[in-house]
Amino acid sequence: VKGRRRSIAPARRTFSAPAFALSSLAALSLGALVLGAPAAFAQASPDPSEQPVDLARVASVVGAARGPRLAGDGLEAEAKRIASLLRCPVCQGLSVADSPATMATNMRQQVRDMVAAGFVEEQVLAYFEASYGEFVRLRPPLRGVNWLVWLAPLVGLLAGGAIVYLVLRGPSAAASPEATRAAAASATAAEPARDPLPEDPELARLVLRVRELAYGWPGGVRPQPKGQA
Amino acid sequence: VNRKVLLAGLAVALPIVGLLLISLGRDPHRMDSPLVGRAAPAFLLRPAGGGEAVSLASLKGRPVVVNFWATWCVPCHEEHPVLTAGARLYPDVAFLGIVYQDEEPIVLDYLRERGGGYPSLLDDGGKTAIAYGVYGVPETFFIAPDGSIVEKYTGPLGADALRNLVQKARAGSPVRRGAL
Repeated sequence: VKGRRRSIAPARRTFSAPAFALSSLAALSLGALVLGAPAAFAQASPDPSEQPVDLARVASVVGAARGPRLAGDGLEAEAKRIASLLRCPVCQGLSVADSPATMATNMRQQVRDMVAAGFVEEQVLAYFEASYGEFVRLRPPLRGVNWLVWLAPLVGLLAGGAIVYLVLRGPSAAASPEATRAAAASATAAEPARDPLPEDPELARLVLRVRELAYGWPGGVRPQPKGQA
Repeated sequence: VNRKVLLAGLAVALPIVGLLLISLGRDPHRMDSPLVGRAAPAFLLRPAGGGEAVSLASLKGRPVVVNFWATWCVPCHEEHPVLTAGARLYPDVAFLGIVYQDEEPIVLDYLRERGGGYPSLLDDGGKTAIAYGVYGVPETFFIAPDGSIVEKYTGPLGADALRNLVQKARAGSPVRRGAL
Protein backbone atom coordinates (compact mmCIF):
# COMPACT_ATOMS: atom_id res chain seq x y z
CA VAL A 1 0.00 0.00 0.00
CA LYS A 2 2.75 2.39 0.97
CA GLY A 3 4.57 1.62 -2.26
CA ARG A 4 1.49 2.45 -4.31
CA ARG A 5 0.99 5.68 -2.53
CA ARG A 6 4.55 6.59 -3.29
CA SER A 7 4.10 5.76 -6.93
CA ILE A 8 0.90 7.76 -7.11
CA ALA A 9 2.34 10.81 -5.54
CA PRO A 10 5.03 11.41 -8.18
CA ALA A 11 2.43 10.78 -10.86
CA ARG A 12 0.31 13.55 -9.37
CA ARG A 13 3.30 15.84 -9.38
CA THR A 14 4.02 15.20 -13.03
CA PHE A 15 0.39 15.91 -13.71
CA SER A 16 0.46 19.07 -11.67
CA ALA A 17 3.31 20.67 -13.64
CA PRO A 18 1.37 21.19 -16.88
CA ALA A 19 -1.70 22.03 -14.82
CA PHE A 20 0.28 24.71 -13.04
CA ALA A 21 1.54 26.02 -16.35
CA LEU A 22 -2.00 26.07 -17.75
CA SER A 23 -3.49 27.76 -14.73
CA SER A 24 -0.74 30.35 -14.56
CA LEU A 25 -1.23 31.08 -18.26
CA ALA A 26 -4.92 31.52 -17.62
CA ALA A 27 -4.16 33.76 -14.66
CA LEU A 28 -1.77 35.82 -16.76
CA SER A 29 -4.26 36.33 -19.57
CA LEU A 30 -6.97 37.12 -17.02
CA GLY A 31 -4.60 39.60 -15.40
CA ALA A 32 -3.94 41.19 -18.76
CA LEU A 33 -7.69 41.46 -19.32
CA VAL A 34 -8.27 42.96 -15.88
CA LEU A 35 -5.39 45.40 -16.28
CA GLY A 36 -6.81 46.16 -19.70
CA ALA A 37 -5.41 49.08 -21.58
CA PRO A 38 -2.11 49.61 -19.67
CA ALA A 39 -1.07 46.02 -20.32
CA ALA A 40 -2.08 46.32 -23.97
CA PHE A 41 0.00 49.48 -24.19
CA ALA A 42 3.01 47.75 -22.70
CA GLN A 43 2.66 44.98 -25.24
CA ALA A 44 2.34 47.42 -28.14
CA SER A 45 5.59 49.11 -27.16
CA PRO A 46 7.91 46.54 -25.67
CA ASP A 47 10.93 48.85 -25.55
CA PRO A 48 10.24 52.08 -23.65
CA SER A 49 13.52 53.54 -24.92
CA GLU A 50 11.99 53.63 -28.41
CA GLN A 51 9.15 55.88 -27.27
CA PRO A 52 9.33 59.68 -27.63
CA VAL A 53 8.74 59.92 -23.90
CA ASP A 54 9.19 57.43 -21.10
CA LEU A 55 5.61 57.24 -19.76
CA ALA A 56 6.73 55.36 -16.67
CA ARG A 57 9.03 58.26 -15.83
CA VAL A 58 6.23 60.75 -16.51
CA ALA A 59 4.04 58.83 -14.07
CA SER A 60 6.83 58.80 -11.48
CA VAL A 61 7.09 62.60 -11.75
CA VAL A 62 3.42 63.63 -11.96
CA GLY A 63 1.51 60.55 -10.77
CA ALA A 64 -0.75 58.20 -12.68
CA ALA A 65 -2.68 59.57 -15.65
CA ARG A 66 -5.83 61.28 -14.41
CA GLY A 67 -7.77 61.63 -17.64
CA PRO A 68 -9.21 59.43 -20.36
CA ARG A 69 -6.95 58.10 -23.10
CA LEU A 70 -7.40 60.10 -26.28
CA ALA A 71 -7.08 59.25 -29.94
CA GLY A 72 -7.89 60.75 -33.31
CA ASP A 73 -9.01 64.37 -33.70
CA GLY A 74 -9.64 64.79 -29.98
CA LEU A 75 -6.03 63.82 -29.26
CA GLU A 76 -4.61 66.19 -31.89
CA ALA A 77 -6.72 69.12 -30.67
CA GLU A 78 -5.90 68.56 -26.99
CA ALA A 79 -2.18 68.01 -27.70
CA LYS A 80 -2.07 71.25 -29.71
CA ARG A 81 -3.92 73.15 -27.00
CA ILE A 82 -1.51 71.97 -24.29
CA ALA A 83 1.55 72.55 -26.50
CA SER A 84 0.40 76.15 -26.93
CA LEU A 85 0.66 76.57 -23.13
CA LEU A 86 4.31 75.47 -23.11
CA ARG A 87 7.21 77.78 -23.84
CA CYS A 88 9.71 76.53 -26.40
CA PRO A 89 12.94 76.62 -24.35
CA VAL A 90 15.20 77.44 -27.29
CA CYS A 91 13.00 80.15 -28.83
CA GLN A 92 12.23 83.75 -28.04
CA GLY A 93 8.69 83.92 -26.69
CA LEU A 94 7.24 81.16 -28.88
CA SER A 95 5.06 78.34 -27.68
CA VAL A 96 5.93 74.73 -28.38
CA ALA A 97 2.89 74.58 -30.66
CA ASP A 98 4.11 77.50 -32.78
CA SER A 99 7.85 76.83 -33.00
CA PRO A 100 9.53 75.00 -35.87
CA ALA A 101 12.62 74.20 -33.73
CA THR A 102 13.71 70.59 -33.37
CA MET A 103 13.33 70.71 -29.62
CA ALA A 104 9.78 72.05 -29.93
CA THR A 105 8.99 69.29 -32.42
CA ASN A 106 10.29 66.73 -29.93
CA MET A 107 8.31 68.29 -27.10
CA ARG A 108 5.14 68.31 -29.23
CA GLN A 109 5.64 64.60 -29.83
CA GLN A 110 6.04 64.02 -26.09
CA VAL A 111 2.94 66.08 -25.28
CA ARG A 112 0.97 64.06 -27.83
CA ASP A 113 2.15 60.78 -26.30
CA MET A 114 1.28 61.88 -22.78
CA VAL A 115 -2.17 63.11 -23.81
CA ALA A 116 -2.77 59.86 -25.68
CA ALA A 117 -1.92 57.98 -22.49
CA GLY A 118 -4.44 60.00 -20.50
CA PHE A 119 -2.27 62.61 -18.77
CA VAL A 120 -4.21 65.83 -18.29
CA GLU A 121 -3.08 69.40 -18.96
CA GLU A 122 -1.80 70.08 -15.45
CA GLN A 123 0.20 66.83 -15.43
CA VAL A 124 1.82 67.52 -18.79
CA LEU A 125 2.75 71.06 -17.75
CA ALA A 126 4.04 69.80 -14.39
CA TYR A 127 6.20 67.19 -16.13
CA PHE A 128 8.02 69.80 -18.21
CA GLU A 129 8.13 72.17 -15.25
CA ALA A 130 10.04 69.52 -13.27
CA SER A 131 12.81 69.74 -15.88
CA TYR A 132 12.72 73.36 -17.00
CA GLY A 133 11.19 75.21 -14.08
CA GLU A 134 8.17 77.46 -14.08
CA PHE A 135 9.65 79.36 -17.03
CA VAL A 136 8.35 76.65 -19.34
CA ARG A 137 4.75 77.60 -18.58
CA LEU A 138 3.58 80.41 -20.84
CA ARG A 139 0.76 81.18 -18.40
CA PRO A 140 2.29 81.67 -14.94
CA PRO A 141 0.34 79.68 -12.33
CA LEU A 142 -1.42 81.63 -9.60
CA ARG A 143 1.04 81.27 -6.75
CA GLY A 144 3.57 83.35 -4.88
CA VAL A 145 4.92 86.42 -6.63
CA ASN A 146 2.98 85.47 -9.79
CA TRP A 147 -0.12 87.05 -8.28
CA LEU A 148 1.54 90.36 -9.10
CA VAL A 149 1.62 89.47 -12.78
CA TRP A 150 -2.10 88.73 -12.80
CA LEU A 151 -3.25 91.48 -10.47
CA ALA A 152 -1.01 94.39 -11.51
CA PRO A 153 -2.83 95.03 -14.83
CA LEU A 154 -6.19 94.89 -13.05
CA VAL A 155 -4.99 97.26 -10.34
CA GLY A 156 -3.52 99.55 -13.00
CA LEU A 157 -6.76 99.54 -14.95
CA LEU A 158 -8.82 100.34 -11.85
CA ALA A 159 -6.42 103.09 -10.77
CA GLY A 160 -6.40 104.56 -14.28
CA GLY A 161 -10.19 104.41 -14.41
CA ALA A 162 -10.38 106.14 -11.05
CA ILE A 163 -8.06 108.91 -12.23
CA VAL A 164 -9.99 109.40 -15.46
CA TYR A 165 -13.27 109.50 -13.51
CA LEU A 166 -11.96 112.08 -11.05
CA VAL A 167 -10.56 114.27 -13.84
CA LEU A 168 -13.72 114.07 -15.94
CA ARG A 169 -16.00 114.79 -13.01
CA GLY A 170 -13.70 117.74 -12.56
CA PRO A 171 -14.32 120.80 -10.44
CA SER A 172 -18.00 121.24 -11.50
CA ALA A 173 -19.42 118.53 -9.24
CA ALA A 174 -16.58 118.06 -6.80
CA ALA A 175 -15.83 121.61 -5.78
CA SER A 176 -17.92 124.28 -4.06
CA PRO A 177 -19.68 127.00 -6.13
CA GLU A 178 -17.03 129.55 -5.14
CA ALA A 179 -14.22 127.31 -6.30
CA THR A 180 -16.12 126.70 -9.53
CA ARG A 181 -16.51 130.43 -10.08
CA ALA A 182 -12.83 130.99 -9.29
CA ALA A 183 -11.85 128.26 -11.69
CA ALA A 184 -14.11 129.73 -14.37
CA ALA A 185 -12.61 133.17 -13.74
CA SER A 186 -9.08 131.91 -14.01
CA ALA A 187 -10.02 130.02 -17.16
CA THR A 188 -11.51 133.19 -18.62
CA ALA A 189 -8.42 135.10 -17.64
CA ALA A 190 -6.30 132.71 -19.60
CA GLU A 191 -8.51 133.01 -22.65
CA PRO A 192 -6.99 134.71 -25.68
CA ALA A 193 -10.20 136.76 -25.99
CA ARG A 194 -8.78 138.94 -23.14
CA ASP A 195 -5.69 139.76 -25.15
CA PRO A 196 -5.91 143.20 -26.78
CA LEU A 197 -6.97 143.25 -30.40
CA PRO A 198 -4.87 145.03 -33.01
CA GLU A 199 -5.79 148.65 -33.90
CA ASP A 200 -6.52 147.89 -37.55
CA PRO A 201 -10.23 146.86 -37.70
CA GLU A 202 -9.61 144.55 -40.65
CA LEU A 203 -6.80 142.79 -38.79
CA ALA A 204 -8.87 142.65 -35.57
CA ARG A 205 -11.74 141.01 -37.48
CA LEU A 206 -9.32 138.39 -38.80
CA VAL A 207 -7.84 137.74 -35.34
CA LEU A 208 -11.35 137.22 -33.92
CA ARG A 209 -12.17 134.87 -36.76
CA VAL A 210 -8.99 132.88 -36.08
CA ARG A 211 -9.83 132.74 -32.36
CA GLU A 212 -13.31 131.53 -33.20
CA LEU A 213 -11.92 128.83 -35.43
CA ALA A 214 -9.30 127.84 -32.90
CA TYR A 215 -11.51 127.78 -29.79
CA GLY A 216 -14.94 127.08 -31.25
CA TRP A 217 -16.60 130.01 -29.43
CA PRO A 218 -17.96 133.03 -31.25
CA GLY A 219 -15.19 135.68 -31.22
CA GLY A 220 -13.07 133.26 -29.16
CA VAL A 221 -15.03 134.14 -25.99
CA ARG A 222 -16.16 131.32 -23.73
CA PRO A 223 -19.95 131.45 -23.35
CA GLN A 224 -21.05 132.08 -19.73
CA PRO A 225 -22.43 128.95 -18.08
CA LYS A 226 -26.13 129.13 -17.23
CA GLY A 227 -26.99 130.61 -13.86
CA GLN A 228 -23.76 132.57 -13.66
CA ALA A 229 -23.37 136.26 -14.10
CA VAL B 1 7.04 121.52 -14.92
CA ASN B 2 3.99 120.46 -12.95
CA ARG B 3 5.15 118.80 -9.74
CA LYS B 4 2.35 116.26 -9.80
CA VAL B 5 3.29 115.15 -13.32
CA LEU B 6 6.92 114.86 -12.28
CA LEU B 7 6.05 112.75 -9.22
CA ALA B 8 3.74 110.51 -11.23
CA GLY B 9 6.45 110.04 -13.84
CA LEU B 10 9.00 109.14 -11.16
CA ALA B 11 6.57 106.70 -9.53
CA VAL B 12 6.28 104.88 -12.84
CA ALA B 13 9.90 105.13 -13.95
CA LEU B 14 11.79 104.42 -10.71
CA PRO B 15 10.61 100.82 -10.18
CA ILE B 16 11.45 100.02 -13.80
CA VAL B 17 14.92 101.55 -13.52
CA GLY B 18 15.40 99.71 -10.23
CA LEU B 19 14.51 96.37 -11.82
CA LEU B 20 16.88 97.07 -14.69
CA LEU B 21 19.71 97.91 -12.30
CA ILE B 22 19.16 94.72 -10.27
CA SER B 23 19.00 92.59 -13.41
CA LEU B 24 22.08 94.17 -14.99
CA GLY B 25 24.32 92.23 -12.63
CA ARG B 26 22.77 88.91 -13.56
CA ASP B 27 23.79 86.52 -16.29
CA PRO B 28 20.71 86.21 -18.50
CA HIS B 29 21.81 82.77 -19.66
CA ARG B 30 22.02 81.39 -16.16
CA MET B 31 18.86 79.44 -15.52
CA ASP B 32 18.38 77.80 -12.16
CA SER B 33 17.61 74.17 -12.79
CA PRO B 34 14.80 72.72 -10.68
CA LEU B 35 16.61 69.38 -10.95
CA VAL B 36 19.50 70.38 -8.70
CA GLY B 37 19.17 68.45 -5.46
CA ARG B 38 16.80 65.94 -7.04
CA ALA B 39 17.33 62.48 -8.50
CA ALA B 40 18.87 62.65 -11.96
CA PRO B 41 16.42 61.48 -14.66
CA ALA B 42 17.22 57.90 -15.61
CA PHE B 43 18.28 57.03 -19.15
CA LEU B 44 19.29 54.03 -21.19
CA LEU B 45 21.04 55.16 -24.37
CA ARG B 46 23.08 53.57 -27.14
CA PRO B 47 26.60 54.92 -27.58
CA ALA B 48 27.68 56.37 -30.92
CA GLY B 49 29.59 53.76 -32.90
CA GLY B 50 27.66 50.87 -31.40
CA GLY B 51 28.09 48.84 -28.25
CA GLU B 52 25.98 48.10 -25.22
CA ALA B 53 23.44 50.70 -24.16
CA VAL B 54 24.50 52.67 -21.10
CA SER B 55 22.12 53.37 -18.25
CA LEU B 56 22.58 55.92 -15.51
CA ALA B 57 21.36 53.34 -13.00
CA SER B 58 24.33 51.10 -13.81
CA LEU B 59 26.68 53.87 -12.60
CA LYS B 60 25.12 54.25 -9.16
CA GLY B 61 27.77 54.45 -6.50
CA ARG B 62 30.09 56.53 -8.66
CA PRO B 63 30.03 60.25 -9.29
CA VAL B 64 28.88 60.94 -12.85
CA VAL B 65 29.52 63.85 -15.20
CA VAL B 66 26.90 64.08 -17.96
CA ASN B 67 27.81 66.48 -20.73
CA PHE B 68 25.27 67.47 -23.40
CA TRP B 69 27.14 68.48 -26.54
CA ALA B 70 27.09 68.61 -30.32
CA THR B 71 29.68 68.82 -33.07
CA TRP B 72 28.04 72.00 -34.42
CA CYS B 73 28.44 73.76 -31.08
CA VAL B 74 31.53 75.96 -31.06
CA PRO B 75 31.94 76.29 -27.27
CA CYS B 76 31.81 72.48 -27.10
CA HIS B 77 35.02 72.33 -29.17
CA GLU B 78 36.68 74.47 -26.55
CA GLU B 79 35.39 72.25 -23.77
CA HIS B 80 36.16 68.89 -25.39
CA PRO B 81 39.85 68.65 -24.37
CA VAL B 82 38.97 69.70 -20.80
CA LEU B 83 36.49 66.83 -20.52
CA THR B 84 38.69 64.18 -22.13
CA ALA B 85 41.54 65.23 -19.84
CA GLY B 86 39.13 65.13 -16.91
CA ALA B 87 38.09 61.59 -17.75
CA ARG B 88 41.78 60.57 -17.56
CA LEU B 89 42.51 62.64 -14.44
CA TYR B 90 39.52 61.42 -12.44
CA PRO B 91 39.18 57.70 -13.17
CA ASP B 92 36.77 57.24 -10.24
CA VAL B 93 34.27 59.52 -12.00
CA ALA B 94 32.12 58.24 -14.87
CA PHE B 95 32.12 60.69 -17.79
CA LEU B 96 29.28 60.49 -20.30
CA GLY B 97 28.57 62.61 -23.32
CA ILE B 98 25.02 62.88 -24.60
CA VAL B 99 24.80 64.04 -28.18
CA TYR B 100 22.28 66.83 -28.69
CA GLN B 101 20.60 67.16 -32.08
CA ASP B 102 23.44 65.75 -34.13
CA GLU B 103 24.10 62.82 -36.43
CA GLU B 104 26.03 59.69 -35.56
CA PRO B 105 28.51 59.64 -38.52
CA ILE B 106 29.46 63.27 -37.89
CA VAL B 107 29.89 62.57 -34.17
CA LEU B 108 32.11 59.54 -34.92
CA ASP B 109 34.26 61.58 -37.32
CA TYR B 110 34.61 64.27 -34.71
CA LEU B 111 35.63 61.81 -31.98
CA ARG B 112 38.13 60.08 -34.30
CA GLU B 113 39.70 63.42 -35.08
CA ARG B 114 39.76 64.93 -31.60
CA GLY B 115 39.81 61.85 -29.40
CA GLY B 116 37.13 60.58 -27.08
CA GLY B 117 37.92 58.56 -24.02
CA TYR B 118 34.39 58.13 -22.73
CA PRO B 119 31.09 57.11 -24.33
CA SER B 120 29.01 59.61 -26.25
CA LEU B 121 25.38 58.49 -26.16
CA LEU B 122 22.78 59.10 -28.85
CA ASP B 123 19.59 60.77 -27.68
CA ASP B 124 16.99 60.05 -30.33
CA GLY B 125 14.06 62.41 -30.15
CA GLY B 126 15.87 64.53 -27.58
CA LYS B 127 14.09 62.64 -24.81
CA THR B 128 16.95 62.75 -22.34
CA ALA B 129 17.82 66.37 -23.13
CA ILE B 130 14.22 67.38 -22.41
CA ALA B 131 14.12 65.29 -19.22
CA TYR B 132 17.24 67.16 -18.06
CA GLY B 133 15.77 70.51 -19.03
CA VAL B 134 18.53 71.29 -21.50
CA TYR B 135 18.21 74.70 -23.14
CA GLY B 136 21.29 74.48 -25.32
CA VAL B 137 24.75 73.03 -25.51
CA PRO B 138 27.07 72.71 -23.77
CA GLU B 139 25.37 71.94 -20.49
CA THR B 140 26.94 69.64 -17.92
CA PHE B 141 25.30 67.87 -15.00
CA PHE B 142 27.26 66.67 -11.98
CA ILE B 143 25.68 63.68 -10.31
CA ALA B 144 26.56 62.40 -6.86
CA PRO B 145 27.17 58.68 -6.17
CA ASP B 146 23.61 58.47 -4.76
CA GLY B 147 22.20 59.55 -8.13
CA SER B 148 21.16 63.09 -7.21
CA ILE B 149 22.11 66.11 -9.30
CA VAL B 150 24.59 68.27 -7.45
CA GLU B 151 25.07 71.01 -10.01
CA LYS B 152 24.18 72.07 -13.52
CA TYR B 153 26.84 73.99 -15.40
CA THR B 154 25.84 76.02 -18.43
CA GLY B 155 28.50 76.87 -21.01
CA PRO B 156 31.96 75.48 -21.69
CA LEU B 157 33.72 74.05 -18.63
CA GLY B 158 37.22 75.13 -17.76
CA ALA B 159 39.67 72.81 -16.02
CA ASP B 160 39.25 74.60 -12.66
CA ALA B 161 35.46 74.53 -12.72
CA LEU B 162 35.57 70.88 -13.68
CA ARG B 163 37.89 70.02 -10.80
CA ASN B 164 35.73 71.92 -8.28
CA LEU B 165 32.50 70.40 -9.50
CA VAL B 166 33.90 66.86 -9.66
CA GLN B 167 34.92 67.40 -6.04
CA LYS B 168 31.35 68.44 -5.17
CA ALA B 169 29.92 65.47 -7.03
CA ARG B 170 32.15 63.13 -5.05
CA ALA B 171 31.10 64.81 -1.80
CA GLY B 172 27.49 64.71 -2.90
CA SER B 173 26.54 68.07 -1.41
CA PRO B 174 24.67 70.61 -3.53
CA VAL B 175 26.75 73.63 -4.51
CA ARG B 176 25.46 77.00 -3.46
CA ARG B 177 24.93 79.31 -6.41
CA GLY B 178 27.69 81.83 -6.93
CA ALA B 179 30.26 79.66 -5.18
CA LEU B 180 32.22 79.23 -8.40
